[in-house]
Amino acid sequence: MAVSDYLVTDDLTVLLGFIGVTVFLLQNLYKPQPLVHPILLGRQSDAGRVRHPGESTVYRNYGTGLLGRFPVRPDKDVNVVNDFLKPEFDAPRTLWSTKITNAQLKTSISAFGSGIARLVSEESTVLILLNDCIEFLISDLALSEQSIASITLNSPKLLTGVLEMHRPDAIITDATFLPHVLELIYDAREHHHKIIVVGESDSNLKPKGMKEVEIYSWNEVESTGKVPQAPKNTPQSDSPYTVSFFESPSGERRGVQLTHENFTSGVTAIKSLFPVASSLSTLDTIVSAHSLSTPYGRAIAYTALFEGASFATLPSTTVFHVKDAPTLDVTDVLSAINRIPSPTVLFLKPEHVQSLTSAVISRAKKSFFLYPLAWRHKFAGLREGFLSKDSLWDRTVFDGAREAVLGKMADTLKAVVISGGPLPFDSLAPARIALSVPLINIHTHGSAAGPLFATHASDMQMLPSSSATPEPAHVGAPSINVEAKLVGVDDDVVEKGADPIGEILVRGPPVGSMLSAEGESGEKNAWVQTGEKGRVMTNGAFKVLGFM
Amino acid sequence: MGYALDFGTPVNTALLVYILYSVQKIVFPSASTPTTIPNEFKHGYSWLPKAHPPTVIFKAYTPKTLEPFSGKNGGRILLAINGIVFDVTAGRNFYGPDGMYGNFAGRDASRGMAKQSFDIEMLTAIDQPLDKLDDLRPDEIENMKGWIDHFSNKYIICGKLVENDAV
Repeated sequence: MAVSDYLVTDDLTVLLGFIGVTVFLLQNLYKPQPLVHPILLGRQSDAGRVRHPGESTVYRNYGTGLLGRFPVRPDKDVNVVNDFLKPEFDAPRTLWSTKITNAQLKTSISAFGSGIARLVSEESTVLILLNDCIEFLISDLALSEQSIASITLNSPKLLTGVLEMHRPDAIITDATFLPHVLELIYDAREHHHKIIVVGESDSNLKPKGMKEVEIYSWNEVESTGKVPQAPKNTPQSDSPYTVSFFESPSGERRGVQLTHENFTSGVTAIKSLFPVASSLSTLDTIVSAHSLSTPYGRAIAYTALFEGASFATLPSTTVFHVKDAPTLDVTDVLSAINRIPSPTVLFLKPEHVQSLTSAVISRAKKSFFLYPLAWRHKFAGLREGFLSKDSLWDRTVFDGAREAVLGKMADTLKAVVISGGPLPFDSLAPARIALSVPLINIHTHGSAAGPLFATHASDMQMLPSSSATPEPAHVGAPSINVEAKLVGVDDDVVEKGADPIGEILVRGPPVGSMLSAEGESGEKNAWVQTGEKGRVMTNGAFKVLGFM
Repeated sequence: MGYALDFGTPVNTALLVYILYSVQKIVFPSASTPTTIPNEFKHGYSWLPKAHPPTVIFKAYTPKTLEPFSGKNGGRILLAINGIVFDVTAGRNFYGPDGMYGNFAGRDASRGMAKQSFDIEMLTAIDQPLDKLDDLRPDEIENMKGWIDHFSNKYIICGKLVENDAV
């Protein structure tokens, strides 16, 4: 038969040809569009052109640029931490379990401030040993208004050392931790402390020989300050008002001195984590897994105050506990939502996210037939950089699973910010599919009031590491007001074009000034050694590889 | 009847196979992470640039080691002002061998910048100690500092200038 006999066409050919063209167009043009163009993800930080031998060059966020100025305040009127409570905003919002307006909060703050100003002089220091509660915020803001220095610790193990070195004049603690505090003071033989106790305490708790220790109740101090006493000096934005102690990975105690400007910069950086379409507002409810005793945890609380959002922390943030700390899992996340409106933004740790992901996925697997298909489709979308909560697969498979695991939160959740440890690379894609909201992976450090590194909110690239050891997921470019560099870098390797690997040093408005071992503050705006090893990828994103 | 399944002609069979294959790709998309990372954004969403942006290492130069960088043979052009070495290769028109200010390339241009002059007398010989600039008037020092600001914004600071025997 001739060739033309093979190529005979009939009506069926036309039909099939039409279907073929449709299918071809469908396949090529119906590809999901990425939420952020990949060209932007190829240049996430602005790198300097010069580097010193043994160091990498200095990296800044691409939006800020090497010549740009760091943003230090979220609004032009916010200079000190007390300005976060906007007076013109008068709707009530819920903080932990208390519904309160800004005006009531301010009254409480000035009352407690006047009360405590009567107890201690202005040059004194006050140690705050509270777990996260509204009294912590009120005490913190009251002390900053009165320009009385406060000290916070992120671990009870640091308490002995701090009591010895800094000898605070007053201690604010809560009733369950009071016996432990009294014991330590007795051992330290410095008995002239004033202790302010939150909560109901056993009144005959004072042990023998401690007549100089005066115990007041928190409500008592607040009520003595009902006639407010204006503070003698107004706080300035660059005056240090708090010191935070944290444990370095090697176990030594490190302290950082923080000014008002550190916290306003931190709040600016936290606000910038979210895309403009879903930025924070009064309709949000923020739930945080980071204790207020850390600068970052406090900055999250201040962000909630500034935005007029409701706020609560998870039970796992308790630092000063007498029982064991709760584990970081789904029940921890769910237990915070009893009295606040349904959370919209969660600031969680990697363990929470992994636990949530596995709960949602195991629930979703119960729909035997649709789940594999749904997974494939969502994964294919993720590969192209697209993620949506409203797709067909969410409606059929994942919404049900999310609601079973998270309850009301499944509907209102709009973003999750992950920090506080390395996030394994393999858990990122399942987490995105399970939660279907922007997951922002950031890196924080005990010395900074804001994120040090943050990924773009819609960055969904899957970049497996090329090295032999599995590396955690990348944490993105330096935050908008932080600059970072690596030291201890192998020059030969870098000159050949490989990624620089070394210790991360950071500098910028949210980074406080570290105190030396004796408690002396260093020079202003010095590079802070984070003690963590990092690597820079060619697109300017950083990976934190662990401790030095 | 064995041929009934080929829908009559090879053309139809081919079209049918293509349609079935594409439909299968649409309904069951691939679910594996990409193994190779492309170096162009056109080739994939998860991509990485091939190389880091180029950087130069901050070095200490002496007048003798600085002199070769005068742009001859298309090389880098460096010049020093007040001990700071700038990489002015981007300004080859001005500081290259044929440029108006070519005298300054590879040399310490502090005195010339301060006195606003491009004469050869402004330059110190390479084997002499560095020009201490003691006899400059305050307004000349200001002028030199202005030039340092201009150069810092426009060009890269890539080193410092030290005495010949200091390295």
